[in-house]
Amino acid sequence: MEAASVPHPAGHAHGDAAEHGDHHGPPPANRSSRVEPQLLGMLLFIISEVMVFGAFFTAYFFIRVAQGDPWPAVGTTLPVEVAGVNTLILVSSSFTLHWAEAAIKRGNHFGLKAGMVATFLLGATFLFIQINEYANIGFAPQDTAQATIFYGLTGLHGAHVTIGLILLLIVCIRAFRGHYSPEEHRGVEIPGIYWHFVDIMWIVVYLTVYVI
Amino acid sequence: MLNPLRSEGEAFRLLLYVIAVAVAIVAIIVILRVL
Repeated sequence: MEAASVPHPAGHAHGDAAEHGDHHGPPPANRSSRVEPQLLGMLLFIISEVMVFGAFFTAYFFIRVAQGDPWPAVGTTLPVEVAGVNTLILVSSSFTLHWAEAAIKRGNHFGLKAGMVATFLLGATFLFIQINEYANIGFAPQDTAQATIFYGLTGLHGAHVTIGLILLLIVCIRAFRGHYSPEEHRGVEIPGIYWHFVDIMWIVVYLTVYVI
Repeated sequence: MLNPLRSEGEAFRLLLYVIAVAVAIVAIIVILRVL
């Protein structure tokens, strides 16, 4: 090691170099938790997301349960069947994502690429149908309290789908560039957890807003 | 114990459980509306 063999005019720097070995760059961050940083980050993020959705669901239940208002508002209808088909499309995207993840674990790069492209296209289809639903539903967010909650909940979820699609697009590009392997595929795993979370939230939104 | 944040596989398993519960809820609602 060159740093340890060259005497330093200040004297004490020699000891520092020997103590820290061949380390370059900033010192490693202090870890006060035994949980992996990536896992801890995703845990805190999902908890904060659940709280955001919880705030919107609180407004929803206030209108339906505390106020006892009709749902949806009088004179409006919700496209339950179209949203049901859209739910199947979104749930299908989780299956293709899981297939892609399983493929790269086996070293199947074609499976990863095919699965990720299918997942992205299914997610984009869901978002397209959702926007089309807004255009044809026949009421605006400012019309009634029910309409505000409807657009708020489905719009909040739509924003999460949009973020998820951006992440999936990045994963697709990296998959085609050959960045993943059976040993290193965390870049697929973490967006995958997020995408499944988005799907689970949609099932809850669909059940409460459209079905019940 | 299931921890959906540990891996994509476990998150997918949680999704399957949620789907099963959702199908059960829809089935109950449909039955109640028919009766």
